[in-house]
Amino acid sequence: MFGEGLLKGLGVTIKHFFAPKITEQYPEVKPKLPPLVKSRFRLNREKCIACGICANACPNKVITVNSEKDENNKKRLTGYEMNLQYCLFCGLCVESCPTKAIEIDQDFELAAYTRENTKMDMYKEALTNPPGTAAKEDKGGKDA
Amino acid sequence: MAIAKQEGNFRTQEFILNMGPQHPSTHGVYRAILTLDGEYVVDLENVIGYLHRGIEKLAESRTYTQFIPYTDRMDYLAGMLNNWGYVMTVEKALGLEIPERAEYIRIIVGELQRIASHLVMVASMALDMNGYTAWMYAFYDREKILDLFEMICGSRLTTSFMRVGGVPNDIPEGFLPKLEEFLKEFPKRLDDFDNVITGNEIFIKRTKGIAPIDGETALDYGLTGPNLRASGVNFDLRKVRPYSIYDRFDFEVPVGTNGDNFDRYNMRMLEMRQSLRIIRQAVDNLPEGSIMAKVPKVLRIPAGETYGHIEGAKGILGFYLVSDGGTKPYRIHVHAPSFVNLGIYPYMAKGTMLQDAIASLASIDIVLGEVDR
Amino acid sequence: MDNIFINIAGWIRDFIAGFGLSEGLVYLAMVLVKFVAVLVFVLLNVVFLVYMERRVAGFFQERLGPNRVGPQGIFQLVMDILKLLSKEDIVPAGADKLVYKTAAYVIFVPTMLVYMVIPFGKGMNVIDLNMGLFYILAVSSLTTLIIFMAGWGSRNKYSLIGGMRAVAQMVSYEIPFVFSFLGVIMLTGSLKLSTIVEAQQDVWFIVLQPIAFIIFLIAGNAEINRGPFDLPEGEQELVAGYHTEYTAGRFAMFYMAEYANLLAMAAIGTTVFLGGWHGPWLPGWLWFFIKMYILVFGQMWVRWTFPRIRIDHMMHFNWKVLLPISLANILVTGIGIKAYEMLRTMGWW
Repeated sequence: MFGEGLLKGLGVTIKHFFAPKITEQYPEVKPKLPPLVKSRFRLNREKCIACGICANACPNKVITVNSEKDENNKKRLTGYEMNLQYCLFCGLCVESCPTKAIEIDQDFELAAYTRENTKMDMYKEALTNPPGTAAKEDKGGKDA
Repeated sequence: MAIAKQEGNFRTQEFILNMGPQHPSTHGVYRAILTLDGEYVVDLENVIGYLHRGIEKLAESRTYTQFIPYTDRMDYLAGMLNNWGYVMTVEKALGLEIPERAEYIRIIVGELQRIASHLVMVASMALDMNGYTAWMYAFYDREKILDLFEMICGSRLTTSFMRVGGVPNDIPEGFLPKLEEFLKEFPKRLDDFDNVITGNEIFIKRTKGIAPIDGETALDYGLTGPNLRASGVNFDLRKVRPYSIYDRFDFEVPVGTNGDNFDRYNMRMLEMRQSLRIIRQAVDNLPEGSIMAKVPKVLRIPAGETYGHIEGAKGILGFYLVSDGGTKPYRIHVHAPSFVNLGIYPYMAKGTMLQDAIASLASIDIVLGEVDR
Repeated sequence: MDNIFINIAGWIRDFIAGFGLSEGLVYLAMVLVKFVAVLVFVLLNVVFLVYMERRVAGFFQERLGPNRVGPQGIFQLVMDILKLLSKEDIVPAGADKLVYKTAAYVIFVPTMLVYMVIPFGKGMNVIDLNMGLFYILAVSSLTTLIIFMAGWGSRNKYSLIGGMRAVAQMVSYEIPFVFSFLGVIMLTGSLKLSTIVEAQQDVWFIVLQPIAFIIFLIAGNAEINRGPFDLPEGEQELVAGYHTEYTAGRFAMFYMAEYANLLAMAAIGTTVFLGGWHGPWLPGWLWFFIKMYILVFGQMWVRWTFPRIRIDHMMHFNWKVLLPISLANILVTGIGIKAYEMLRTMGWW
């Protein structure tokens, strides 16, 4: 009968009208992202040997590694910067790192007002906010 | 095809309507120059290139691994399948054997991605006829798939999941139960969607018999994928030239009869159910083992040419790879199904009404990221 | 409770009469007061309706809809309108300025004129015209002209197509729309809205005229460009149809007029088919209000379920389906009335 499909459609929509809603109340309720999500990267300064493999693995030349040779002719990290505005968040740097010095993090609130602010000085940040310690606490606070 | 008849002294004047690049239903930055006779489309001209990023050229300055993240930015609705097509071509050039488990994981995520892509297609087809609610329902399901992707590869849209030689991450904890839940819920949601849109008389009336393409024309225009099968040509790479391990799975290839908008839409609806069957079998037979083949750190492909293709969500997705023996490709050309499929749009739109022309554009399921690359 | 608004009107009337004005002037002042009251009522309802539509649409789509501004997002539209009013007012360079601007200013007029005769409760109308229903039909068809003015004056091809579609659609759907009332008019023998409502004391006309009611819903939906019939502003093909070029406050006028029309259509439906203010326990005006919102919800339900109909299908549906059915309905009603009278004269009833 003509109109049967229309009535069925009306039935489905009214069913969904009373179904539970899925809207996320984002700023108040932060989503808990799975541990594989690459939202940002953190550097472990102790592990990093300044080899520069990550910078080479990056498809978009996002990473700049600065290093100097110390008295034992050993490379020492002096600066590590990620220009996140060009980052593809593919995670190839994390995979390529031979010492697992770069870690992924689920802190996704990276919006910045200016282009300059998208540059992330991970060398400095690693001092104040090293991976594994403060980052986790930070996240725990947000989940609550 | 009823072009407005101009009889006697009643003359109508044709006018040109510029649709896009800023228009609600051009599915991206696509522009169509329409010649209209009242509500009827007399002529249509495709204008593309607004989203051109030179990805093929970019490939020439990236290593083989580094190009993977770029592939999922072409057809951004089916990132997994793009990754797959590319890494498969590289593997073919290298002659690599992929571990069983990696193949199964690829099948699972690939078919999930196909469902996600088809969901966007049916949703946007509904949306282009103002079926807002159905659109939301489909996106709700797609969201579930993207959540699954988030668990397994850490990204939702631009997955960059596959690597030459396998997949980078094994199936994480909690993924399979969530997938089971999806496999259980999704058919019901599909039924709901069917009831809202597929069975809706207005929808049927607006799509059946509109812009039909017969099999021969479809082949002439080089259509592939569901668009070709809607015209009655049974050609699915997964069946005809099984790649990966598709020959182990039991599934059907839906084939249409008229090649009209409804058939093209229905192909997607039916294929989603078939994809579910494939996922079901893949999950049940998932073997243990490694997920990555032994691959050298620096990939060097022997000089020569390779062409690899898969059945993408929108058609045959082919990668043509020319290597000069170095670490970077000499040239990569992508056979992008959306680009080829868009070619038939003027043929489809001619003689239909403006509203149907919009629906026809949705029915061939183009993604402008892939058209322009 | 039932007469609360009538009592208030009475007090105001006494207050005005206290100035020692002549009878005619008091009457005029009272009409003005009632007009303002209805205007405020309509505007408040429009604000709520837009919120309600977005909320209802959200619920149909398993989301929440606006829930940020104020409790449950109830002030969303207030903020939206404030935003729109603060935007730059752009008049397209090639537009016919007079037509373009006039259309935005007068879009509310036909709708408001419709509200003038609606009995919101017993004795609660601004003017109880003898030709109330006829007046409504005459006035509401003016909207067509204004929408066409907007489409034509904008000098935009999308607007023009939208305006043309509006004319084609609204003029054709006017006919079954009018015919759907004819059965009711035959039953009551009056065009006066209060008489029509009084006649539904025992049984609502939706029971006696179910087919006419369905025709009314469909044609009414098409008249106000909503639901599956929103072709003149068909977003997917015409961007925004006849109001593509309107910005800022003028756009807000069109936006609000759409909802004022929706409410007007629900009010007419309530009056003619759903027994107006009749209903047990609750005061009459509340019943009217409830019925009106039930109709509005129905319209939203339909709108958020169905895809848009195609223009030629719409015309076919009107001329080949709705019109014959409405004519048949009139015929059946006429036969029914005659049969009823015959049976009565023969004493079998």
